[in-house]
Amino acid sequence: MDSQIGAELAICRRLVGARLRGQMQYRGSFIAQIAGNFGVNFVELIAILILFSHFGAIGGWDVGEVAFLYGLSCTSFGIAHLLGSGFSSFSTLIHQGTFDRVLVRPVGTLLQVLAAEMQIRRLGEALQGVLVLGAAIGFVGIEWTVGRLVYLPIVLASAVLLYVALFAIEATVCFWTTQATEVLNAFTYGGSDMAQYPLHIYDGWLRGLLLFVVPIGFVIYLPSLYLLDKPDPLGLPGFVPFLAPVAALAFAMAAAALWRLGVRHYRSTGS
Amino acid sequence: MITARGLSKSYWVARHRRGALGAMRSLVDRSGREVRAVRDISFDVAAGEIVGYVGPNGAGKSTTIKMLTGILVPTAGEATVAGYVPWNQRKSLASKIGVVFGQRTQLWWDLPLIESLELLRFVYRVPVDRFQANLTEMRSLLDLDPFLETPVRQLSLGQRMRGDLAAAVLHEPPLLYLDEPTIGLDVVAKARVREFLARINRERGVTILLTTHDLADVEHLCRRMIIIDRGRLLYDGSVEALRQRHGSHRTLVVDLEAGATIDGFVRDGVELVRADGPRRWLRFDREAVSAASLISSVVARAPVVDVAIEEPAIEDIIRGIYEGGLRAEPAVSE
Ligand SMILES: Nc1ncnc2c1ncn2[C@@H]1O[C@H](COP(=O)(O)OP(=O)(O)OP(=O)(O)O)[C@@H](O)[C@H]1O
Ligand SMILES: [Mg+2]
Repeated sequence: MDSQIGAELAICRRLVGARLRGQMQYRGSFIAQIAGNFGVNFVELIAILILFSHFGAIGGWDVGEVAFLYGLSCTSFGIAHLLGSGFSSFSTLIHQGTFDRVLVRPVGTLLQVLAAEMQIRRLGEALQGVLVLGAAIGFVGIEWTVGRLVYLPIVLASAVLLYVALFAIEATVCFWTTQATEVLNAFTYGGSDMAQYPLHIYDGWLRGLLLFVVPIGFVIYLPSLYLLDKPDPLGLPGFVPFLAPVAALAFAMAAAALWRLGVRHYRSTGS
Repeated sequence: MITARGLSKSYWVARHRRGALGAMRSLVDRSGREVRAVRDISFDVAAGEIVGYVGPNGAGKSTTIKMLTGILVPTAGEATVAGYVPWNQRKSLASKIGVVFGQRTQLWWDLPLIESLELLRFVYRVPVDRFQANLTEMRSLLDLDPFLETPVRQLSLGQRMRGDLAAAVLHEPPLLYLDEPTIGLDVVAKARVREFLARINRERGVTILLTTHDLADVEHLCRRMIIIDRGRLLYDGSVEALRQRHGSHRTLVVDLEAGATIDGFVRDGVELVRADGPRRWLRFDREAVSAASLISSVVARAPVVDVAIEEPAIEDIIRGIYEGGLRAEPAVSE
């Protein structure tokens, strides 16, 4: 089984390499595009800062702490967006019936879709997240323990996995209809936006949604309580901040199951 | 190699709604209509056969092939291909089959052909030496060398089809599905594709299931033919038997001497279908009239320079079948 996965990853690497070489033929400078993407996201950050200049703090969290959340979410979203580039163009693959050829190859469908596209410019999004995260860490002065040092990358990886799974679900819906892509897109982006603020400012169903349906809260907000050494205003058990990888894995497995169901609903095209 | 039993596929075509709100509604409300693309089709294909799968547009040919590759899950029925149930064991089956969709390439659009082929080597995990041997063979069989380094998007249709054929057999699949492999090709390119297919069938024992609208493909390649229409199987048997059973009419072509005429010639089971200068075409029922007796009665009436007998074209027989000639008869096998 392990060697199977290894072999598939090797194939994946080849496919991505091929895709990038194909891309280079058309597109001039990656750097310019990365910079462009960076700029777009920067506007978002400015909006948050303006918010702070009016209110001073959000839900008892100061600028540095919210910036930490923002950086965490933005970094993982950017990396997931890059890794999951193939999902962005998935509706075309379904619409034009080109998913046919993915299905006749002896490699996992998810892997093939992921490897079919890598939009390097999305590195800009991740890069910006990293900068904000770095600045925030410096600003709030995290008390580094071994636990926190080890857990931060785990949290990041979990968040990446969760966002990739979210993109996967968005793509999976295409197996049933390719008309709803924009509506779903709003949900994905909306989710990542909401993760940029402390969860306890949301109440009722929205909080429940972010914890138990799409567990962004478990992956970004709750671990941040531990990393920033903040008290838990929700009064959840003490181990909860450490559930990030569990929540992300569970969500990813649900997404993969949904994907498999979707593949069986694929109907190709008439010509 | 292939066993299909009662294969059926219906497509649910949802009512189209406009706008974002419409999109949301179509997620919930599934009203629409059902298109029954393939209905209760059963057949077997033995290893080493070349079977032509023909039928008019929209008959369900591509849908059948997609079920047998595992791309589509059938609505009803069963199938095993190379020992696998295609839609449940799709990944395992994938290395046992080669697929060419004439309308659509399997190659990487932006990459030179050779790079696509090398990628497929990884995808199918073909050992380097086998790959090299196959590539060398394909290069000469399909004459790939002139465009091996050309990006696929710049290839002509004929070149691309050759590239696709090479891509489909590099992993040495025992079974090849071809959905319209000669579509849009000129006569020379068609001949080359046919020759290639005949050859890998003969030399490698590759089983081939092919759909086409060019019946010359079937006549050149297939001993056996399956005809479907509107999702139903109409005929399954040898091309020769079809000709015998449904092409009972032959045509006698006579060239008369200058000035001679056979106008008013009447005989049971014979019909004058065409006249052009001194030439006359007489269609006759081979059951009712023997060629010899027809010739002698024509010669008795007018001086004849030359005679020829035309067998019915498979094309005409099939047109007759599409138009309903076989509808009443049960589907047969040889
Ligand atoms: N993805 C699809 N969604 C809805 N209907 C479809 C789809 N694919 C095929 N059909 C319908 O199913 C029927 C059979 O189509 P199919 O493509 O199998 O025919 P075909 O025999 O391959 O025709 P052609 O010779 O034109 O390629 C047609 O009526 C077609 O409109
Ligand atoms: Mg077709």
